[in-house]
Amino acid sequence: MRLLTGLVLVVMAAAALRGLLPRRPGLTVLAAGIAALVLLGFYPQDLATSEFWAGAVGFVSILSALLIVMHPNPMVSVLFLILNLFCTALFFLMLQAQTLAVLQVIVYAGAIMVLFVFVIMLLNLRAEEGLRMSMGPQRWGAIGFGAAFAGLMFWALRHRHGAAYVEPKPFVEGFGTARDLGTLLFSDYVFATEAASVLLIAAMVGAVLLAKRRLE
Amino acid sequence: MRIDFFLVMAALLFTVGCVGVLIRRNVIVILMCIELMLNAVNLTFIAFAHEMRSMAGHVFALFVITVAACEAAVGLAIVLALFRRRRTTNVDDVSLMRW
Amino acid sequence: MDPLALVVIESTLKVGLVLGVIMTVVAYMEWVERRVSAWIQDRRGPNRVGPFGLLQPLADGIKFLFKEDILPPHVHRALYLLAPGIIFTTSLVTFSVIPFGPPIEIFGRQVRLQVADVDSGILIILAISSLGVYGIALAGWSSNNKYSLLGGLRSSAQLISYELAMGFSVVGVLMSAGSLRLSEIVDFQVRHGWNLLWQLPGFIVFMTAAFAETNRLPFDLPEAETELVAGYHTEYSGFRFLLFLMAEYANMITASGLAVTLFLGGYHVPGLHLLGLPPLASALVQVGAFCLKVAFILFVYVWVRWTLPRFRYDQLMNLGWKVLLPIALANILWVAFFVLRGWA
Repeated sequence: MRLLTGLVLVVMAAAALRGLLPRRPGLTVLAAGIAALVLLGFYPQDLATSEFWAGAVGFVSILSALLIVMHPNPMVSVLFLILNLFCTALFFLMLQAQTLAVLQVIVYAGAIMVLFVFVIMLLNLRAEEGLRMSMGPQRWGAIGFGAAFAGLMFWALRHRHGAAYVEPKPFVEGFGTARDLGTLLFSDYVFATEAASVLLIAAMVGAVLLAKRRLE
Repeated sequence: MRIDFFLVMAALLFTVGCVGVLIRRNVIVILMCIELMLNAVNLTFIAFAHEMRSMAGHVFALFVITVAACEAAVGLAIVLALFRRRRTTNVDDVSLMRW
Repeated sequence: MDPLALVVIESTLKVGLVLGVIMTVVAYMEWVERRVSAWIQDRRGPNRVGPFGLLQPLADGIKFLFKEDILPPHVHRALYLLAPGIIFTTSLVTFSVIPFGPPIEIFGRQVRLQVADVDSGILIILAISSLGVYGIALAGWSSNNKYSLLGGLRSSAQLISYELAMGFSVVGVLMSAGSLRLSEIVDFQVRHGWNLLWQLPGFIVFMTAAFAETNRLPFDLPEAETELVAGYHTEYSGFRFLLFLMAEYANMITASGLAVTLFLGGYHVPGLHLLGLPPLASALVQVGAFCLKVAFILFVYVWVRWTLPRFRYDQLMNLGWKVLLPIALANILWVAFFVLRGWA
């Protein structure tokens, strides 16, 4: 974990240095690169642990989520959301959910986000229209609410174990494969699957009707 | 206790999404923060499915993705229709309220 | 030796081999295209630079590399620089799950001739090619130019429409093979005959969708010179433009490799077991057969390009949604009938 902490500190220091020395981007990148290589030389065994990679993906995920909210250009926000969805797909892979990871990339990052990109291209939204966060009491109220909400969730996580801790069963062969998922979808949850297909058709018809240009 | 890591990640992502919905004024960025919240919920489902060794979490997450797709499509269609009437994507400018 | 180190070495060698071969073929596809188009149009192709013009790609590469690197002032810098990177990377990564030979024994290790034998092989290809759409959309958007914007929009819409048709045409293959792994699909075809023979509508839909996915004629309206200047790569010049061209050829190679794997039996040579060759030689013959089949599909790509006229955009979207999707669905029903009866 030392490697991860060190690399995170290097990245944050590089970002701070970029803010302080805007005219010398090459110097910042060079210094950050050298620091990262030195750290890698000191703790190479950390690279083989799964905690390091989970932490690294988590860092990128949180960073991209913050940048979605803070960046003024909506197209760049979409790119950061795609990066975030890709990091979530990597989390799914770490949690033995291979089919869902790939489906997340195909459907969420590959199709839904293309919809967002299309709409931004059609509406021609540039940076100045994406800015304008709410000023005044709403902004501080929102940040305060966010802090309170995060505090509530951490409290709930800490006081989670009501019952005694049960040793988890070993994994069934084929956990997370398409075969398992498909079997469940079409046997136990077949009604929900059919309802989801009806929902998709309704959404398609609704979207076409709402966005239709009325030829007057 | 690996699952705690994923639950904490999901909680943080959900909070960032919440704050984004409340802070940003551009309708498309608000929709994106809603997608971020749905994504965090998916991560929680999959983390618990891993803990309980049950595929029900995966099925649920798949349906959440489906519903997110429908909601994004319809939401963006509404944004397009709104833009045609009001020529703005700022939610402050489309309010018909008195104050 | 440490097994992890062995795996790393094996993977690195395979990645190096595949990358090297793909980049060489990408460079020489340009030569093939020019010579075959010349043959179809009854003229000579490049024949001055080297014997039969074989050094022409080298000359073109040098020309592109030495051009001045222009960064137009009105573009969005970050997205402009990112777009060719996205599309080039995705076009190369998709080849990693295609098996180009049977499993062989080297130094007592079982080595699969496939860079990554993933459980959900075909879904990975669909996933990464969905990500490739962003390269084109961002190229169109970042150029701050109405022709690029329109070209990028049209091209992205075309890509996502034909992704659907491609996915549906592949479902028949998946149902019959019973697995998403590409190596198991090839094994199924080795046992039961090539999928082309009894899933012809699926193959035709797949090839048409593959032509549209790689932005090749007759579906190349978004980048046609007479229509939209040059579509989404209007503002690109020099090395970045070369990246777009190389990405298009790499996409063609991946689509051909996928067509061969799914429908033409992959590396299977019918009747090879009768010759009784030693296993390594037989594996080499099968790799050669794979390369020949991919070369044939690439030739079909070039042939169709210089034979058919271009589709208009509304005809293109009509074809994708109203013609290919129903044919692909009918193909699924046909294959399902065979699978249920147990004849496949």
